[in-house]
Amino acid sequence: MNDELDLRIERTLDAPRDLVWKAWTDPEHIKRWWSPRPYETPECEIELKPGGKFFTRMTGPEGFDYSGTACILEAVPGERIVWSSTMKGGYRPNEFTDDGCNGFPFTAIHSFQDAGGGKTRYTATVMHANAKDRDAHAAMGFDDGWGTCADQLAEVARTLAAEA
Amino acid sequence: MLNDSPTLDRAFAALADPVRRGMLARLSSGPASVSELARPLPISLPAVLQHLKALEASGLVSSEKKGRVRTVRVEPEALASAETWLSRRREEWESRIDRFEAHVQAIKEEQT
Repeated sequence: MNDELDLRIERTLDAPRDLVWKAWTDPEHIKRWWSPRPYETPECEIELKPGGKFFTRMTGPEGFDYSGTACILEAVPGERIVWSSTMKGGYRPNEFTDDGCNGFPFTAIHSFQDAGGGKTRYTATVMHANAKDRDAHAAMGFDDGWGTCADQLAEVARTLAAEA
Repeated sequence: MLNDSPTLDRAFAALADPVRRGMLARLSSGPASVSELARPLPISLPAVLQHLKALEASGLVSSEKKGRVRTVRVEPEALASAETWLSRRREEWESRIDRFEAHVQAIKEEQT
């Protein structure tokens, strides 16, 4: 974990690890939680092996239809799945437009550990390519240093927007 | 996903420097003259003016000269724009994991 570039979200889930793993890696399950309502995930493919394709298609109101393909870098059953938006299946690089309309580069590490009592500790770590992307996330309060500063700015912005 | 990326690029570049973040923090409590901004900083006035120039170029602050005093203030819209984008990103990650958690609960209950 590089504090300069990464963020982390941790949750203790009240379910055994094998079930949590299944929910994260089975396309039929992913389709049910990937997209926020009213958006849906009508298609999902995931190949649980290094170089495997991780494809999702999201559809929604007003003809919204967005497909994204990432690359699985690591898949250790029940323990860890690592994927990156920088590539598609077979390690072929993705293209990114400057306007950010087709996403931005990041790598996500999802790890699962027994937490006792039939619970699972789930940790998502997201690694960014540059300071802009990292700051964008850190400013949301994931980081104690710069994040705190940006939080204050965000608070200021809210106040100013409310006054305007 | 993001229509005003060049603006945000400039804003984040401007915010990458601790001196400029300090200046912005000071300005968030209200407009200040250049000399008021410079006073607590351990750097020369020309250096302060350089940082100010970068902040103005980012659109995060604006300044106006009246007589011999240049007054600097934050631009709420530029800050709000950054905040909106950040909020969206956070929402996406947190809410996706919320949905994942709810789904895990649902299938656990189906199984028992």
